[in-house]
Amino acid sequence: MTQDQLTTEFEACRGQLKSYILRITTSIQDTEDIVQDTFIKASEKLATFKGDSSLKTWIFAIASNQARDLLRAKKRWPENVTDICRDAALSNPEFIQEAMRIRNTSPQGHFEIKEHITFCFTCVSKSLPLEQQLALLLKEVYAFTVKEIAGILDLTDAMVKYYLHTARSKMIEVFDHRCSLINKEGVCHQCTELNGLFNPKQKAEEELAKISMARDAEKKSKEQLFDLRMKLLQQIDPFESDAAELQLGHLEHNRQVMEKYLEEKD
Amino acid sequence: MTTSLKPDGKAITQKTTFSLETAVSITINADPSIIWALLTNASDFTRWNSTVTGLEGEIKLGGKLKLKSYLDDKRIFKIGVKEFQPESRMVWGDGNGTRVFTLEKQEAGVVFSMVEKMGGLTFPLWSRFLPPFEESFERFAADLKKEAEMINNGAN
Repeated sequence: MTQDQLTTEFEACRGQLKSYILRITTSIQDTEDIVQDTFIKASEKLATFKGDSSLKTWIFAIASNQARDLLRAKKRWPENVTDICRDAALSNPEFIQEAMRIRNTSPQGHFEIKEHITFCFTCVSKSLPLEQQLALLLKEVYAFTVKEIAGILDLTDAMVKYYLHTARSKMIEVFDHRCSLINKEGVCHQCTELNGLFNPKQKAEEELAKISMARDAEKKSKEQLFDLRMKLLQQIDPFESDAAELQLGHLEHNRQVMEKYLEEKD
Repeated sequence: MTTSLKPDGKAITQKTTFSLETAVSITINADPSIIWALLTNASDFTRWNSTVTGLEGEIKLGGKLKLKSYLDDKRIFKIGVKEFQPESRMVWGDGNGTRVFTLEKQEAGVVFSMVEKMGGLTFPLWSRFLPPFEESFERFAADLKKEAEMINNGAN
């Protein structure tokens, strides 16, 4: 394995790696740092790469370890994170003003419901234990096999299967209970609320009709709806989408709110 | 009694004047780490185990648990984790008795056994208030088998 081969492979998976780390850390700065450090570490350790796994798997393992080191001591977020952050946003006019400025001036400032669905998943999945969240993202969003995930997270295949199953089960129940897009009794309407704020002339129903998870909610099982949610995550790159700047600003806001909330709760 | 227990998922109870012992055993075709993870993740217990309606605390050596059972949803059992040998043996207990969980790898799979023993000098005074435990034990074992095997045979 040469440095050129590593550089080529790293560049090929950089986009996926960045979105994966962002979805774990919810911090743009931490994501940039970890991705950069991963490349440096991979270059330094290149001689130790024996080809037991693919280079991409090896790169994800290095990045995952750094993310785990960063997050191990930090508290996980509660399932109702979006309620807590909504309240904080409503009492913070500066945040709303800044979001409207991005909406009106940035080429990546469009608000789209489907992008907010993926943003919402990033926040809510932080209520899972860290290992479960990592396993779930690696399998459902980045399409690694159980064996590859076991290598990335240094776990047995059996434990990866356990983490995947429990994480999936928990997320399915949380979204079934909370998300009004898939359950009329759902308590969270935030994506349609924000659509009304950022796109006042647009009909939310027409937008929702374009999203199969919302359009087919009554015909699909909870598990199928979760799979459709995961498909959206596979399709949307949080750094490159038309909504990137708006959603990244919102994510930064939520992370700061949650860090303060968890600190005050201690 | 436990030595004659068959791993068929059927619970057996043996009662004497001063004690009551209920036991169940079942063969599970799953990796023992999956079974152990299910048995030791308190926050996930109620999802797969239909006999437990609430479980708070950490399942680790010295851990304190608050357990609610479908047999009496209003009562909270305060239990301590007395022994904890990963993928092998765990003992829960309170002032009235102990519950022993064991996993044993055999050719046909992993044999899970659960034995609860209650008793003492005052046992005759309160034993008449105890509900029958066999159904609860059988459900516990069946739920564990179903969940562990489903996970074991799940995504690759």
